[in-house]
Amino acid sequence: MGRQVAGRTGAAPRAEGTRPARRRGRRGTWALAYAFVAPTVVLTVLFSLVPLAMLLWRSLYSGGVFDFAPRFVGLENYTGMLAEGGGQALGVTGVYTAGFVLLTMGAGLGLGLLLNSGAPGVARVRAPFIIPLVVPVVATALIWANMFAPQFGLVNRLLGALRLPQADFLSSPGLALLAVLTFGAWQFFGQNVILYVAALKSVPRDVLDAAGVDGAGPWRRFRHVQWPMMRRHTLLIWVVTTLTGLQTFTQIYVLTQGGPDGATSTALYYVYNEGFVQFDTGRANAMGVALFLLSLLITIAQLWLVGRADRAR
Amino acid sequence: MPASLAARRALVYLLLGLAVLVVAFPLFWMAVSALKTDAEIVNPAAPLWPAELQWSNIGRALSQAPFGRWYLNTAIFGVAATAGQLTSGLLAGYAFALLDFPGRRLLFVVALSGLMVPFSAIIVPMSQLLGDLGWLNTYQGLIVPNIASGLGAFLFRQFFLGTPRELGEAARLDGASELRVFLSVYAPLARPMIAALAIILFLQNWNNFLFPLIVVNTTDMSVLSQGLSVFHSQFATQYNLIMAASLITIVPVLLVAVAAQRHIIEGITLGALD
Repeated sequence: MGRQVAGRTGAAPRAEGTRPARRRGRRGTWALAYAFVAPTVVLTVLFSLVPLAMLLWRSLYSGGVFDFAPRFVGLENYTGMLAEGGGQALGVTGVYTAGFVLLTMGAGLGLGLLLNSGAPGVARVRAPFIIPLVVPVVATALIWANMFAPQFGLVNRLLGALRLPQADFLSSPGLALLAVLTFGAWQFFGQNVILYVAALKSVPRDVLDAAGVDGAGPWRRFRHVQWPMMRRHTLLIWVVTTLTGLQTFTQIYVLTQGGPDGATSTALYYVYNEGFVQFDTGRANAMGVALFLLSLLITIAQLWLVGRADRAR
Repeated sequence: MPASLAARRALVYLLLGLAVLVVAFPLFWMAVSALKTDAEIVNPAAPLWPAELQWSNIGRALSQAPFGRWYLNTAIFGVAATAGQLTSGLLAGYAFALLDFPGRRLLFVVALSGLMVPFSAIIVPMSQLLGDLGWLNTYQGLIVPNIASGLGAFLFRQFFLGTPRELGEAARLDGASELRVFLSVYAPLARPMIAALAIILFLQNWNNFLFPLIVVNTTDMSVLSQGLSVFHSQFATQYNLIMAASLITIVPVLLVAVAAQRHIIEGITLGALD
């Protein structure tokens, strides 16, 4: 889950709200204000903006562990990255993220509706869903490695008992990504359950009751009242989920190391592998730039879509 | 129609029960696997439930690796990074919301720009930068780069924008200094917000894997998640010990999560939907 759990926010649209009261242009206030913002501003520059500048700059230079005099190579790192596994990694990331979004948002919405259904006692069973989300990913990934293990793993024993063909899920080119995705969705879907419960609660009770009085059943109330009224939430949930999917790393590192034959090598795993195992930092940086641009694109799309949804209301 | 209502409710309970089972079963299976003998765990024909529960496996796993040291490192990292994120976010959020100073808009944009740069994109330059600073394999290398929190600054700013200005004005008329106004009037108001953010930030830091992975490569400085992944590579398919080790890392977090579930749920919602 890393730093993404709390996720990205729809920050900018309401960035400049009210104006601070009258100017109290006293130097003392200024000094205090600068002292208060300094840690955040200085550390953001030093540990976000400086590395970003280094990333963009160095992606245009040759890089390697024995490369003591990097030279300008233009877009060579990018073409090399795309040709040598990076293109495949972007494809894997796309497929993984699409599956991840579908599974976790589908489960989140479905379970959110169940938890919101008003059946006695159900509103309080949110706790189980946060557990996979908050315990260490490495540990839960190992549980799934155990369950997916060939022959003696639980899944294969069940398949054997049912006289179905067994498989080495994590080493099979066709199944490894599916196995990793199953784990990834299990680990994360609770967040979307929590967020959809919150979204459903934001739909005013009286609007929903009015629709009920007019004879609308659960499906029509969902389709014509809840779903349209949750549009903004759905967009925000989509953004957080997509960004999480794009940055999938830990389960790949633990379960498959990108294998077999790159079938589960995600973009971020590619950056790690090129940068810290193969020591081709030029290609690692080129993929880093791609990851940065992709998440920037999604964040911009979010701002635009949320702005549009807000105007439509 | 009570009959159809009852049927609908039964379906709700059934589906929710299934979902809870999907969540809980792997954790249950971890515990069962952790308590099997070395022979049982690799024998596809052994009964699913162990003949005798091998509680000694937990002691065996603990003795195979420095879990105590890894717990300590994770705790130092988790507490310090969380305290730093809350403090820097609280201070910056307050200043951006309630103080007026030249460059406020620009500095706010800089503070939020961190949100646009996912850490995962910059792991290579980050590790080079920390190497240049001589911070690899150190606590400051783990902690300091994680202190700035654009999300924290943003959320605290939103919070303070919603607090009444008259409180500060009244204190100033009474002669309180600006620092005093912050410390005794506004900071205490933010307590519920701090509580909601503290637990979710702490868990994120506690579980962070990628950041320590690029900063630390010694056993002594590893955090729990890293240590567990090394343990896994050493014991390959000896899943009873691996599951015992996972159990050791999961159970304390599980207890915290259950105890603090309301704060966690609030923190998740705050971070993503506001």
